[in-house]
Amino acid sequence: MVLTVFGVSVIVFLVLRLLPGNALTSALGVSAGLLNHAQLVALDRYYGVGEPVVQQYGSWLHAILTGNLGVSLSSRTSVVSLVGAALPVTFELAIAAMLLGLLIGVLFGVFGALRPGRLVDVSGQGVSVIGLGVPSFVIGTGLVTLLASVFQYFPSSETFASLTSDPWLNIQQIFFPAFTLSLGIGAAIMRTTRASMLEVVGQNYVRTARGKGLSRHSVTWKHIFLNAFIPVLTMSGIQLGYLLGGTVIVEQIFVLPGLGRLLVESINDRDFPVVQSVTMIFAAGFVVVNMLVDILYAVIDPRIRNR
Amino acid sequence: MTMTGVGSPPAPPAPPGELDAAASPVNRQGLFQALWRSPNGRVGLVLVGIVVAAAIAASLGGTPYDPQYQNAAALLQHPTWSHPFGTDQFGRDILSLVLDGLGVSLEIACLAVLIAGAIGTVAGVVAGFLGRWTSAVIMRVTDMLFAIPAILLALIVVAALGAGWLNSAIAIGVGYIPIFVRVVRGPVLALRESGYVMAGRVLGFSRSRLLLRHILPNVGGIMAVQTSLALAWSVLAEASLSFLGQGPPPPTASLGEMVSQAGSLAATAWWTLAAPSVAIIIAVIGFNLLGDGLRDAIDPRTRKR
Repeated sequence: MVLTVFGVSVIVFLVLRLLPGNALTSALGVSAGLLNHAQLVALDRYYGVGEPVVQQYGSWLHAILTGNLGVSLSSRTSVVSLVGAALPVTFELAIAAMLLGLLIGVLFGVFGALRPGRLVDVSGQGVSVIGLGVPSFVIGTGLVTLLASVFQYFPSSETFASLTSDPWLNIQQIFFPAFTLSLGIGAAIMRTTRASMLEVVGQNYVRTARGKGLSRHSVTWKHIFLNAFIPVLTMSGIQLGYLLGGTVIVEQIFVLPGLGRLLVESINDRDFPVVQSVTMIFAAGFVVVNMLVDILYAVIDPRIRNR
Repeated sequence: MTMTGVGSPPAPPAPPGELDAAASPVNRQGLFQALWRSPNGRVGLVLVGIVVAAAIAASLGGTPYDPQYQNAAALLQHPTWSHPFGTDQFGRDILSLVLDGLGVSLEIACLAVLIAGAIGTVAGVVAGFLGRWTSAVIMRVTDMLFAIPAILLALIVVAALGAGWLNSAIAIGVGYIPIFVRVVRGPVLALRESGYVMAGRVLGFSRSRLLLRHILPNVGGIMAVQTSLALAWSVLAEASLSFLGQGPPPPTASLGEMVSQAGSLAATAWWTLAAPSVAIIIAVIGFNLLGDGLRDAIDPRTRKR
């Protein structure tokens, strides 16, 4: 896992070094022309522009490991403070979206699989077609339009309130973007849950459990669902990648000051220290969560634990 | 990208003389019929047909108006007979813009999938067929690429290369490479140990002959499925990139950019949002369903369900 994150850092670094020209002069724009040669050299040295690639990478890696993410080229503030302000927003959004997605996906998936072809199943399939086929930016844009025209509610009208400072406003501000993201995840989770449940429903031990008179609730959740849950968990881990990518778009639509918005802004400003750091954080988050998923396998399934 | 239903196809009972005849699991005629029999495949085929026809029409100049022609006398008009999807804030005909955008979108998607498919398949086959070390290195790199969410990978590649038609395609293609590698490698690993590949090895066939004539044709099915799903993703990714302002710069038409522009107009002019959104949705659902249908058609086990 450490190796993967390390490799990601190499890839991100190399990709961003591909850019033609000098990040520094493009960041400074017109004002770069006003600097004299000595000033440019000093700045180059400060940002490590002229050094060989390996050395640049080494110093960047060293800086990251010591908690120094560098200085933003556009706002001149430390990347740590920018990221520190944005991370909780994205974190909250991702968790809320994941929980909503699991809720939608698991409920429709379980009850759809118990009565295939009936109302719950069919409506679930309908939701899953929408969730998989309609891009989150279309759902988001549509939702914002709807909220504005029908309820006169504008998500961007107030500045973002954190969960601690104003919980009620915060939940209002997080709910719609999280809902937008959760439809796509929910659809994928639902399909997996349904298929996985259908495979388990016909097993002999399910018939035995029903035969010995266990309650329907107990059979559904303890005997069928728990045994059908591993693929659902795998799918949730995969969907996290989609989710993190989706935060970039949804934060843009709902004007949330999270990592995704920071990333797009810094790409537009060609502010590469910030782009590098934010991408690394997304990748590290993805890797860590998938490692947690691997651990959860063992928690849920004793067969994996004892192997 | 699920690996369900991707096992090793049964070894074809071929007489020694015909051992080289590429035996795909389903013959061409049967594949189309099986595709048409599955409801997913049928709907997908029709939707993809509509999208491709629209895109070809647009790239041949078959749009009702010049997409970039700004008619100052017809700003933000409701859908009418002369402008079936209405006009935008510059008085441009939205139908023409959508058709043109679909064309651009499909061109980028096809090139992206070509890039991802070519690199990903070669890497996947090599990782599955060659020795342990090569395989380990390729899979490691794949894991690393996989750890960066695909759309983010595309976003930073575009950031590094600069916005543009070709760069969008490269960026989207790079984002999808790891999925092709993984999907191709699994079956190749299984096929390597299958009876007829062993037989070929015993007969002294060269590595390249085994790869090209015995293994690749049998991976063709799942590659067709994956290509269709990849096209769906690429259309979506292209729209997402241009929605974020990282797509090809104007005057290139782009569906994502139209949705983004419509965000501020849609409350009063819903049609500016509806048309490009529906075009993206039809393309994405169409390619996804076609992929599902192909999977059903190729794998008899899912076909029976």
